[in-house]
Parts: sequence; C-alpha cells; structure tokens
Amino acid sequence: MYMDYNKIRALLEKYWEAATSLEEEEQLREFFVTHQQPLPDDLREAAPLFRYFQLEIDQELPAEPAARVVPITKKASPWQHWMKYAAVLLIMAGIGYSIQQQREKQHQLIVADFGEDTYQDPEVAYKETQKALQLLARNLNKGTEQIEKLSYFNEATDKIKD
Amino acid sequence: MSLELFHSQVLPIRPKLFRFAFRLLNNEEDAKDIIQDALLKVWNQQERMPELQNMEAWCMRIVRNLALDRLKSKKYRNTEGLDRAGEVPANHQQSPHLAAEQQDVMGRVHRIINALPEKYRTIIQLRDMEGFSYQEICDILELTLSEVKINLHRARKSVREQLQNMHVYGLQ
Repeated sequence: MYMDYNKIRALLEKYWEAATSLEEEEQLREFFVTHQQPLPDDLREAAPLFRYFQLEIDQELPAEPAARVVPITKKASPWQHWMKYAAVLLIMAGIGYSIQQQREKQHQLIVADFGEDTYQDPEVAYKETQKALQLLARNLNKGTEQIEKLSYFNEATDKIKD
Repeated sequence: MSLELFHSQVLPIRPKLFRFAFRLLNNEEDAKDIIQDALLKVWNQQERMPELQNMEAWCMRIVRNLALDRLKSKKYRNTEGLDRAGEVPANHQQSPHLAAEQQDVMGRVHRIINALPEKYRTIIQLRDMEGFSYQEICDILELTLSEVKINLHRARKSVREQLQNMHVYGLQ
C-alpha cells in the first residue's frame, strides 16, 4: 500500500504539471474513487477532484436530444412521392372530364336549337304558329289603336294652328 | 460530401457535442439549441468536410464558438451551476451524514471548476471529463500543444490551490 501511495504521489505531481497521459489520469481517478481507507494528508486534497470527475463522467445528462434529429431519408426514389403524382393526375383527369362534359352539353343545346324540329306533326305545327302569330297581331293592334287616338289629336291641333 | 458522411460521422458524435455544450452552458435547453445550430452550420459548410483532418474537433469547435457567443449575448450568469451543485449525486452505501458531506464536497468542487475562467474550465472539461487527447484539444481550441499544456497546467494549479484552501479549512 505504501508503494501504491508513492506511485500515486508521483502521478499526481505529473498530473498537476499537465504531463500525464490519459491512461495515467484514468489510474488516478480509479485510485481515488475506489480507495476506501483514510488517505495520507498530502493525497487528500486531490480526492474530491477525481471523485467529482468520475461523477461527471458517469453523470447521465438530461435526455439526449437525438430523437429530435429527423433522420433524413436516404433513398429518394421517384416512387417515393407517388401520392403527389397520383393527386396531380387525378386533378387533371377531373378537369379534363368536366371540360369535356361541358362541351358535350353545349353541343347538344346547339343541335336542339337548330337541328331538330319542335313538332313532328305539320298540322299541330301550323296551328301553333298561327296561334303565335295571332298573339303578335293582337298586341300590335293594341299599339296601333293608341297611335290612332294620338293622330286624332294631332289632326285637331293642326286644324287649330291653321 | 453527402448525407451518408453526415450520418456516419457527424450524427454519432452528437451526444458528445451535447455533453460539451451542456457543460459549457449549464443549461439543457440552451445546449439543445446550440446543438441544432451547430449541426446546421456543419451541414451548411459540408463542402469543407472532406478536407478536414479531424471532423470531431471541428464540430466541437463550432459548438464551443456558438456556446461562447450565447454566453456573451445573454450576459449569462452562471448561477445555475450553484443550483445544480446540490443535485450532484453522492456515493451510495454511506451513512446519511457521510453522504450529505460528500455531496457538499462535490458541490464545492463543482463551484470551483465553474468559477474558473472559461478557457481553463473548457480545457479541464475536455481533458478530465471528456477524455480528449492533447492533440484533439489543440484542434478544438485552435491552440498549439504547448499552449494547451500551459493552460491545463494553470487551470489545474488554480483548482489545486482552491482545493488546498478547502482542505485547510477542514472541509474535507
């Protein structure tokens, strides 16, 4: 044990001079941490320091933040974002389909307006046309009646002027 | 450089960087922030990576610089060390009295080390707690070998003197 102390003393001297190797520092730490008997006076001062180092080395630091690193995915194959492509395709297909639908509808309207007859039977068509023309004539006549009254007034005023 | 290099060389030393930042700042949240910033910085300077001799030292240096900036910007008061000192776990299998005493002593050592000038403190942390070689410390702190040894010697001397005082006043 006595020899041991001398060895430690020598190491410690080297330690204070900053001349120890990592292994020697490890030996010192181990000695002071494991040594249970009372130490000689000159060795006592260093004991808390090495015990402190050991505690710091063993100390578990608060939750290592490794989890916060989002592991960047290594593979960037073109199929990785297939959903994006699928979505774009779907939207394009939808737009195309709606445009096509609208065109078809317009086409149908045009055909309905000019291409086909409203009535199949000429008799019925004739009657309907007559009805419509009569309605027009009646309304026109209503207008001319008013105009006649107006011209009557005109004539009267002309006479007075003369 | 690439993602692979980043994954294989930088991310594995992340815990080590975190420990270092945590020791410098004495604050978990700030340490986490610093690590994020540091990794971003490393990533942004990735073209330098292949030419670097010691990637780890380079990363540590970035962490240290960021931590020092933060300390400066916040006019950091290193009082948390005092708060935390009480939490230093004591050795088990001791009587409560001895354990309390031990804890008290550990708290004192903690304060002694935290009260050192930043340069000395960092050097002691790197050497005695993180176990870096002299050469690695040179790379991290951008000092020459002799400067590292001189600073380490002075740091230890200062700690020793304070330990002796502690001892003289019967606190051990």
